[in-house]
Amino acid sequence: MGRFVTIFVVVLLTLFTLEMLVPVQEHVIVPFTAMLAQLSAALILPFDSSVVAYGKVLQFVDSGFAVSIEAGCNGVEATIVLIAAIVAYPASWRARLVAILLGFVAIQLMNLLRIISLFYLGNWNTDVFTWIHLYLWPALIMLDVLIVFVVYLRYLSGGQATPETVRG
Amino acid sequence: MVDQHHLRQFLIYVFVLLIPCFAVWTIASGPLAIPAIGFVNSILTQWFPDTVNALYASGAKAVLMTEFGEKDGNLIPLASAEYRLGFEVNTRIISYSLPFYTTLHFATQKTEYLSSYLWGLLILYPLIVFGLLCLCLRELMVNLGQTFLTQPGVFVPNANVIGILYQFCVLIVPTLAPAILWLWQSRQSPLLRSALAKS
Repeated sequence: MGRFVTIFVVVLLTLFTLEMLVPVQEHVIVPFTAMLAQLSAALILPFDSSVVAYGKVLQFVDSGFAVSIEAGCNGVEATIVLIAAIVAYPASWRARLVAILLGFVAIQLMNLLRIISLFYLGNWNTDVFTWIHLYLWPALIMLDVLIVFVVYLRYLSGGQATPETVRG
Repeated sequence: MVDQHHLRQFLIYVFVLLIPCFAVWTIASGPLAIPAIGFVNSILTQWFPDTVNALYASGAKAVLMTEFGEKDGNLIPLASAEYRLGFEVNTRIISYSLPFYTTLHFATQKTEYLSSYLWGLLILYPLIVFGLLCLCLRELMVNLGQTFLTQPGVFVPNANVIGILYQFCVLIVPTLAPAILWLWQSRQSPLLRSALAKS
């Protein structure tokens, strides 16, 4: 357990500090965030003609409400937490890499849902938008990370149920 | 199959409890923040007596009053100012760890709930206090600039350190701390026991 915690904290702090570096922000985080914005727009535009997209901004033509997808809204921090947990837990590197890849996809799918839902919520009510944006969605994204990690642990353990779990 | 039942049950309870827990916290977040605000007020006013006048509660927000005034966007001494410069700090962006932890804790099948929950709150609250301190340091750094960062005879953390601590306390700690706490406290639960058996 001590080994897990140590590796987890070291990897977490290292990746988080790396993410904060200006060159990483410029060359990785900002382009990735812009790509997410474009992907969100590509998912919305075929179904909603009242929406326009430019750069990392999504906007309703009629109401003028717009959201700009910024660093911090890109699920990168959640991915960093997941990577730290997966790297810290003993397993083969193949299993780790597959889990990181699938976890990244799961987090980003959830994040796309988050961006699109917030865009529509904001057009409806800005107070609800703020509340869900700042408090509820971050918790849901971390819940996504937790579920991915728990499923990964269960995969590693081979789905063996203990006698207690069978009774439960 | 039985393990899947535990995961499914956990998820159902999470989605049932999530909104009520966050709703209760929204109502109670003001009073909940008062001890943290009082504690951080003591730290800041003793650490930066020439810069910080007070930190006090205003609903779910904290108001950070400085020893400066402002005119045309410039800092001026308080004596020649018409009003005292202050900034609002949203305490909810760090205290939402509490409803998230509450949801995870009570959504998990356990033999005992209350004492471990209280222990969890006791562990999370100091993190909220530290997060609030980092939020205030960041407000002072951004709004007062070099006046804050270069105070003679006072240790002020490096601007990059304040920036990283702020990001860490806002973006990671409020969701990660409850998640780690939940994993640790629930390691003997039916949901996690078999999954963690390998370790």
